Amino acid sequence: MKCIITIELGTNGVRVFAFELNGRVIGSMKGYHPTFHTEPDKSEQDPEQIFITTLYLLKNLLNEYIHPKKHKVACICFSASMHSVLAVDKNGSPLGYAITWADNRAKKESEELRHSALGRSLYAATGTPIHPMSPLLKIAWIRHRDKERFRLTSKFLSIKSYIVHQLTGEYMMDYSIASATGLLNIHKVAWEADALKFAGITADRLPDLAPVFTSAGRLKKAYQQSLGLPAETKVIIGSSDGCLATLGDGIKGEGKATITIEDSGAVRVMGPTVLKDEQMRFFNYLLTEDCYVSGGPTNNAGNIFEWFTRQFGDFSHPYDMENSMRELIEEASKVPAGSDGLLFLPYLLGERAPIWNADARGAYFGLNIKHERKHFVRATIEGILYEIYSIGKTLGEQRTIKSLSVNGTFGTIPFWTQMISDMFNRPVRLRQRSHSVSFGAFLLSATEMGIYRSLDEAARTVELPDVYKPDKQRHAVYADYFAIFERLSGKLADEFKAIATLQQEHASPADRIKNIPAKPITRKKQKQ
Amino acid sequence: MGAKKNGSIQPNTFPTTTTEGIRIYYIIEGRFEWHIAHQPYSFYPGDVALVLPGSPLGSDNGILEIGSFTWIHLRMQKAANGHMLPGKWSGLSESEGAAIGKILSLNSTPALSRFAEAGKILKYIHTELFSQEIGYQARINHHVAGLLIQSARQMTRQNYSGRDFPKTFMHLEEMLRQNLAHQWTVEEMAAMVGLSTTLFNERVKSYSGFSPINYLINLRISEAIKLLRRPEISVTDIALDTGFYSSQHFSTTFKRLTGFRPSEFRKNHLRNK
Repeated sequence: MKCIITIELGTNGVRVFAFELNGRVIGSMKGYHPTFHTEPDKSEQDPEQIFITTLYLLKNLLNEYIHPKKHKVACICFSASMHSVLAVDKNGSPLGYAITWADNRAKKESEELRHSALGRSLYAATGTPIHPMSPLLKIAWIRHRDKERFRLTSKFLSIKSYIVHQLTGEYMMDYSIASATGLLNIHKVAWEADALKFAGITADRLPDLAPVFTSAGRLKKAYQQSLGLPAETKVIIGSSDGCLATLGDGIKGEGKATITIEDSGAVRVMGPTVLKDEQMRFFNYLLTEDCYVSGGPTNNAGNIFEWFTRQFGDFSHPYDMENSMRELIEEASKVPAGSDGLLFLPYLLGERAPIWNADARGAYFGLNIKHERKHFVRATIEGILYEIYSIGKTLGEQRTIKSLSVNGTFGTIPFWTQMISDMFNRPVRLRQRSHSVSFGAFLLSATEMGIYRSLDEAARTVELPDVYKPDKQRHAVYADYFAIFERLSGKLADEFKAIATLQQEHASPADRIKNIPAKPITRKKQKQ
Repeated sequence: MGAKKNGSIQPNTFPTTTTEGIRIYYIIEGRFEWHIAHQPYSFYPGDVALVLPGSPLGSDNGILEIGSFTWIHLRMQKAANGHMLPGKWSGLSESEGAAIGKILSLNSTPALSRFAEAGKILKYIHTELFSQEIGYQARINHHVAGLLIQSARQMTRQNYSGRDFPKTFMHLEEMLRQNLAHQWTVEEMAAMVGLSTTLFNERVKSYSGFSPINYLINLRISEAIKLLRRPEISVTDIALDTGFYSSQHFSTTFKRLTGFRPSEFRKNHLRNK
């Protein structure tokens, strides 16, 4: 039997799936690799470790599920998180680590560009918000702050381009990943001259542009042998995690939107036109030449609930995060919708869409003497989802959203899914088992193989069995409180800036060196 | 070992001292403000001050506050890497002894709070030492080993709250990366972050997708790839630096995962130079 393998190069690790040609999952594996935050705003990953992790998982997946059953691997298809930059020299050796989307070192450059005429025209041309996450700004940053690396760089790759190059020897970047670099003109599907000029490079220092269906060459002989795969195994360059999660949920067509809630979150729509926005709040990425995935990302999603759990959850079983979260959610369910008037602004990590304010900070608002611990739990989850809703609401100004799908570790927790349905006042569908990104990569591969005639047809076959229906009364309560949530997010702008400035000024030395919370030394005497 | 009950405050009764051995103080009464390795700490009843060999212990103006405490000074054997090493007398296996010595030696917080068990153990040792009944030496060895073991456990528990596995895992990662050549065992890794081996295996597997040893092997291979790109280091040195027993062992493991022998990989990546 033929099968399709998908490899997802995610933010925290690698996931591999094997699918039958009808979309049934044969097996899957995941492997973690670390992100290094050795300085404030720095976020890097080791490309060699990502490569080794990928090989290890692929080999084990094949040995456990594929070779024993004599399945034949028709193709291997990639997806990856967006915005990564890896500089390599003329031999293809990495110059330092790969810089991830979460790296904020180019924030000064970003701030300047965002408020300039050039920034506005680049946003309109490239669809990528002007933000330090964008490779446009990262490359400009390397050029000015790390001149030696800039000089030695033969190519600026994405992590995916590097992994594919290791496996096949080709330098390639698919339209989706390229459209998230801030360097690609998404209307002409060609590198944008003004963006290249700003970054200080010419197009030959970037990989070759390729449609998402492109075959990225053959596996090198050594990998054919060590993995036990024949020479004709196709390697498909694939797309980005955001685009594939949207495709995987079958979001092509009018009136549909998808919500992803992992550590961070996003609300996305897909269609033949871009979302234009004077305030530059939305991204517009390419799946294919005539298909845009548009939407807004939030910094503060599942990671904020994890933060809350670490502080206030019960950890009688060491490190059992899942159990602690389950208990908290049970507690939250004992409080009525709206948390009896306790509101939470979830901006612990600053915020991207829709307010795009790096200085934003968190707050509980509306506390009264009757509020208990359980109110805080529920308010925290509600605050995270109000923020998701506020992205959806701004998208709604340009697209009618009639139905929603939800994916991601946190979005698919039933209590959360129901809350999303109530807030949006829309039915919500989801798939419990497989992973939307990987399923999107499966649909892409199957279309390339001719099983579906087009991505449209592939997307139409997606069935999301579980449906959550909105409750009118709870919706009304959420709508009332959301109005205050929204006003607070705007009104507090000055105070956000003031407190963020003070926090930086008064940061303890340890925090300044390492961007991680200081160790809690309970009884160390404070120096007077 | 000894005990002290201090009833009045006088200058220069507690001068700053440094010893070759490890010193463990258990606070019974009062509140003490001490400097250990030039850092100020406050100690309350039930707390333990653990002072490493060569680390100065003292107080402001040599003043000793009112209260009482007991202590024990132990001269410890040293391992090749400079860490303390509990000897055969402790009944600890070689790798366990090394792990405990390492935890105690690397520890950056000499203040162990709410550690009443240390007080009990010191009392037992005291009793045995004074009564000298038959078998007292064996009993004392046993108690001293217990004190070191519990101190190491207390330390890792204090440093790793059990709430943030990603952070704990990052610390472990860092330790492994800094010393890939070391022959890490799962028991040792678990001890470094204060978990039982069973729970450690389980948590690492569910968090990372890898068993601890496989994770370590991936780290070693990733590092080896980086070193192989640098022509000035020999393959044998790379093998040993990244923790493989021999270049043969390195070559087999490397090839099994990457499909290349290390020398082939090196040739491929230097070819275009």
